[in-house]
Amino acid sequence: MSVTLAPKTSPSMTLAWRGLVSHLHITPRAFLPMQAQEAIELVAGEGIVGDRYRIGTETGFYSEKPEEGRQITLFEAEVLEAILRDYKMEMLPEEHRRNVTTRGVALNHLVGKRFRLGACLVEATRLSVPCRHIEEILGKAVFDPMVHRSGLNCKILEGGTLRVGDAIEPA
Amino acid sequence: MARNIELRVAEACAAGPGIWRVTLKDPDGWPLPRTKPGAHLDLHVPGVGSRAYSLCGDPAVQDAWVVAVKLETRSRGGSAWVHALEEGHTVWASMPRCTFPIAESASRHILVAGGIGVTPFLAMAPVLERQGADWALHVLHRGALPCPGDLAPWISAGRAVVHDTAVAPRPAFETLLGAHVPGLQAYCCGPLAMIDAFEHATASWPSGTARAEHFVPPVLAPDPNARPYTLVLSQDGASTDVPAGGSMLVALRALGAKVDASCEGGVCGACKVRWLEGEPVHRDRVLQPEERRTHLMACVAGCASDRLVVEA
Repeated sequence: MSVTLAPKTSPSMTLAWRGLVSHLHITPRAFLPMQAQEAIELVAGEGIVGDRYRIGTETGFYSEKPEEGRQITLFEAEVLEAILRDYKMEMLPEEHRRNVTTRGVALNHLVGKRFRLGACLVEATRLSVPCRHIEEILGKAVFDPMVHRSGLNCKILEGGTLRVGDAIEPA
Repeated sequence: MARNIELRVAEACAAGPGIWRVTLKDPDGWPLPRTKPGAHLDLHVPGVGSRAYSLCGDPAVQDAWVVAVKLETRSRGGSAWVHALEEGHTVWASMPRCTFPIAESASRHILVAGGIGVTPFLAMAPVLERQGADWALHVLHRGALPCPGDLAPWISAGRAVVHDTAVAPRPAFETLLGAHVPGLQAYCCGPLAMIDAFEHATASWPSGTARAEHFVPPVLAPDPNARPYTLVLSQDGASTDVPAGGSMLVALRALGAKVDASCEGGVCGACKVRWLEGEPVHRDRVLQPEERRTHLMACVAGCASDRLVVEA
């Protein structure tokens, strides 16, 4: 059976979308709980002030494998609701261990794209993947429920202050 | 050291005969990972390796972990190191693990401690009390009481009963526990001889209704049916041949897998590994039957098939 994908020459289609920042979390070191913030400071090319994956001061669980796309990570609030629906498992915004919980944004569509987080500009480098490390920390079997909907890794192109409630929209 | 947890000694003090009580915090006072009552912490002892100690603080306190460690005359290096810890010292730890959990479905809990074996129960006590559970703690000790400051409120409340075996015969487990009735859960932590007596007294109880936590791993006899097998890592297909009776933990590390280990005797849970194919032989004392369907303890497990595929 052959699968036909849209030809590369087809006109690109930009869907209108606009979401918002639902929650913000950081933690300074691996294993420690993510803590909610009203605002975080994004530094272009580096990461988030006070977070474990800021380049140059990395103390995260995966810091032995440096990656520019780990400067800021995003996760959909809708996935938390889907995991509750599909697996009867409550997963809280501080438990997915990504920095930004979004609402109204199809993150899986944004790989390779640039978009605005408030006044900041980011570029999505790849889909985030679930890891056993989160299961170890939470004591919850969240690995399987997170497959294919585990969020987005991004690098920061233009920094600034990002606040809960800020808009997320195409650049 | 990003794969370990950095901690500072916030307080260190004596807490009973030969016992050093150490309070550990994040260097900046950040909250620590949540723990379950009954969990233990692997502290990384320089030049020795990981050593597991029960957390004895209230799990609801999120910015501090407490261990109380008795100086063992035949210390393997861990307790002597803990006793030298002072305020301000830095220590490294692994993520706490709970292999001695509270049975959530039980309606009555009887906890039996031998000496410093009281530590996991000091973490369970406030949780059981907040749950409104029906529970009792028996502390068997000889002479001075272990962790007297932590035990005092529970003794005053009538929850904890102490039995000084220096002045009265050791009470029989049959007396402390009674016959098993539906909903009753028994727990024991103490020296090996005490756990043997506990397991003997509860041998006819329904599966899972009597749980014990070991200080040190029991001596494991060689498996007479051990056979060689090929160990395969699922991630990259790397493989190695493990000789009959050989250590899977050593083989995993030789393949480059980063697997934690602590007791290396199948009781602490540090080297838990997911297995995918093959027929593992479980020789641990920590995994529940359900867990064995997916996981094994690499320090003691063998294999009954030609090939075993693991994720490590």
